[in-house]
Amino acid sequence: MFRILILIFLATGAAYSAPVARSLVRIEATSQEPNYKAPWNPGEVSGGVGAGFIISGNRIMTNAHVVSNARFLTVSKEGDPRPFPARVLHIAHDCDLALLTVEDPEFFKGTTALEFGGIPLIESTVSVYGYPIGGSRLSVTQGIVSRIDFQAYSHSGMDSHLTIQIDAAINPGNSGGPVMQNGKVVGVAFQGYSGDVAQNVGYMIPTPVARRFLKDVEDGHYDRYVDLALSYQSLFNPAARRALGLADDDRGVLVGSVFGGGSSEGIVFPGDVLLAIDGLPIASDATIPMDNDSVPLAEVVERKFKGDSVTLDILRAGKPLQVTVPLNGPWPFTLHANAYDEDPKFVMFGGLIFQPVDENWMAAHEPADLRLRYTFDFFTEDKLYKERPEIVVLSGVLADPVNAFASDFRHGIVDEINGRKIRRLADVAEEFAKPAEYYVIKMAGVGRPIVLERQAVEAARERILSRYGVTKEQNL
Amino acid sequence: MIARTALVVLAFCLPAFAGVTPQPNPTKPAIEATNRSVIRVNATSQAYDFFRPWTKKSPGTRRGLGTLIDGDRILVTAELIANHTFIELEKAATAEKSSATVERVDYESNLAILKPADPAFLAGMKPLALDKGVRVGDRATVLQLEQNGEIAQTIGTVTSILVSGYPLDNLGLLIFRLSAPMQQRDGSFTLPVVRNGKLLGVLMRYDARSQTADIISTPVISHFLAEAAKPAYGGFARAGIAFSSTRDPQLRRFVGLNEPGGVYVTEVLKDGPAEMAGLRVGDVILAVDGRAIDQDGNYDDPDWGRIAFSHITNTIKHPGETANFRVFRDGTILEVPVKLEPRDRSKIISESHIVDRAPRYVILGGVVFMELSRAYLQEWGGDWPKDAPQRLVFLDAFQNELPAGKDKIVFISQILPTPMTLGYENLENLVVTKLNGQEIRTLDDVVSAAQSPVDGFQKIELEEDPGLIILDAQAIEANRDALIRKYSLPALQRL
Repeated sequence: MFRILILIFLATGAAYSAPVARSLVRIEATSQEPNYKAPWNPGEVSGGVGAGFIISGNRIMTNAHVVSNARFLTVSKEGDPRPFPARVLHIAHDCDLALLTVEDPEFFKGTTALEFGGIPLIESTVSVYGYPIGGSRLSVTQGIVSRIDFQAYSHSGMDSHLTIQIDAAINPGNSGGPVMQNGKVVGVAFQGYSGDVAQNVGYMIPTPVARRFLKDVEDGHYDRYVDLALSYQSLFNPAARRALGLADDDRGVLVGSVFGGGSSEGIVFPGDVLLAIDGLPIASDATIPMDNDSVPLAEVVERKFKGDSVTLDILRAGKPLQVTVPLNGPWPFTLHANAYDEDPKFVMFGGLIFQPVDENWMAAHEPADLRLRYTFDFFTEDKLYKERPEIVVLSGVLADPVNAFASDFRHGIVDEINGRKIRRLADVAEEFAKPAEYYVIKMAGVGRPIVLERQAVEAARERILSRYGVTKEQNL
Repeated sequence: MIARTALVVLAFCLPAFAGVTPQPNPTKPAIEATNRSVIRVNATSQAYDFFRPWTKKSPGTRRGLGTLIDGDRILVTAELIANHTFIELEKAATAEKSSATVERVDYESNLAILKPADPAFLAGMKPLALDKGVRVGDRATVLQLEQNGEIAQTIGTVTSILVSGYPLDNLGLLIFRLSAPMQQRDGSFTLPVVRNGKLLGVLMRYDARSQTADIISTPVISHFLAEAAKPAYGGFARAGIAFSSTRDPQLRRFVGLNEPGGVYVTEVLKDGPAEMAGLRVGDVILAVDGRAIDQDGNYDDPDWGRIAFSHITNTIKHPGETANFRVFRDGTILEVPVKLEPRDRSKIISESHIVDRAPRYVILGGVVFMELSRAYLQEWGGDWPKDAPQRLVFLDAFQNELPAGKDKIVFISQILPTPMTLGYENLENLVVTKLNGQEIRTLDDVVSAAQSPVDGFQKIELEEDPGLIILDAQAIEANRDALIRKYSLPALQRL
């Protein structure tokens, strides 16, 4: 057993050591998770190990999830024991990529910047480099390209981008490591399944996504992905095709909904048929021909940037027309995405904690309240953001005589305070800052208000702060 | 001195003696009497399959123990005979049998009256009268049947008398809660609870872990029987309000309430008796029919102690009668007479239960249309609020907040794939707004709108993605028989 291990080590060692080892970086991150239940408290501190690789401009590319919520980062080169403090230059949570740098110029001496390749062919062999569990030194695994498709990026939980599936083992610690073919980077290892779900399924971020990230940050700022912000369905049904005035040519998809505040609002409408995007014909299964392959039509928008535009050939009420959609920034309502590097927002008043709901809040509180679950789940689909751009809830109650009867209202959505409609957390802070004899807090769908007397709240203030160790009364 | 000590000891010992000395068992004569008053009821039932509304699920049998009451009638829980296809009475000792029919069933109070097909079948049996005036702490006996037909009795103690939600409709009615260590026995779906040879109530649910039994109480049974004696059965009324406690002194001061008790009205059911009478959210109910309401909504009942005032509106009063509410509103006290009526079930958007009747459906070219009901959602099992399609769960939960004019929620439950539905196979649980441009409020609207296709197409508009489904109207007509044959459908609609 021991002998076999050594043999493998020697055999692979000869192949990789020369080019890649001089570019490979081991990243140790100390991170601090925010605390969504006691939002004034700093959260738990934990450590982790990931991989990265050096690219042009003395930069290190890795996954966003390796360095998210980081408080302290060190990087070390393969074959060099010294850890160097590093800092994050840019981080893109929507595509799970980050760029780091090291201030000490000593670090980059003797290193080689890796270059990016293209999309590898299906069935071609790739090698994955990183520091996965099983030891502390560099590990290499090898596999073939199994599939090229759109996949959800679990770091944000909301975004999907082009992804390449490979059958090389990808394990914790591989994250951020380069996937190589013919001496070039063809992907960044980032996620996989645990062995009890699927075997030999690992994913890497392909180079179009990595290149897009590098281009986006050229102006010194990451703008995030742009989106058409609409939903569409395939159009296979012959009767539907005839009714919509389409030929029997397998082209076109039907627009289902257009999200308010998004790029397409007021330009594309539900019931429109999308026929082509930037001149590329859209097949009835919502794919377009690109790079000698057929890819989801979203790929055209995926490669664009804030300020770019896209042209759509549309059939509306049987009449063809062409529209131009300016991609004016990302979809504004990202509450279904995991958030990082943010301190939870809150307002504490009379022991009542008010917070805006987002994915992080939901994960921390797991509310059973049906109204809250509905408002969160259907926020985008039912355009609930029109009524309240932020869902502000009574997140918790620090029990005190002043709020002895408020605990029944926990996880209720704050609808009004003293007659003012609450649209954002800032509204809550403003209303509580105004002098009033009573603060009457009305929750959505609840007939009875919470009533707080100003005097009682003031009398309780110091008591609550000291008893519960509340160091901060709000973070807006 | 000595004498005094002896006296003390004697007095101290007395209760102990009472427990040890064999005493005549107070329930013994009761059992002999009730032996001839209970009868086994075997109900075969078959519920509809809401996932395939044109079929029924496989039949099952429930067994319980009915009680003979005057008029040759057998009293059981409604749950025992829900969706029945056949009901059989069986004499415990002799296994003689007779089929039975349902004379009256009420799913809100969970009670039903059965009549034997053969009137002579009950000859020799003795009807039980209703017990009146049980108190917390009293003992009562739950009757069960052994395999051999002998009566098994479990003695329990009444631990509380309270108003609580009844199983099928969550209507707040009086319950006797009994603590009794019961055993799992065959046929425990309905069990009589007796005291002193009289019927105290009908056991409707039992929690084995806490050993507590919930018993349909005598006032609820009396109300049910009184209604059943009327030419037109009125059932149980309700005021149609929800309220919350006014214990919070800050709330009391804000409202300006100086009275000691009262509850804060949080919800008034649309078109319900309270709304018709002019009650509003924010009113504080101080008294009902002259009985003062405390901060939690309880009053002092001469028979049952401190219980929720809904006992007055739902049980003491009968439909059509008036309850007088004393209400505090904006600093003044008003007297509001509320004419109590039962819930108009035809106005319910999503029904909490559909029993003894078939769910409605319409199939159009393989697209299955249904009306939303909680019965449909409950097909997802015990954790249905999490497991069932969320939009439908929310529509059911918040049905009272839907804009006016919604009669029912019509939705596509599934699609039976045919060449006509190509590309739509995976669509399910989608709420329908229009068909061929016509507003859809009920399934009847689906049938009538389907008569007028637009340019030869059936255009189904949906509340959510994909937004629009288009089918070939002619192809649907041409393939009617093929669809029926292929999926063995008894009919393409049931309304």
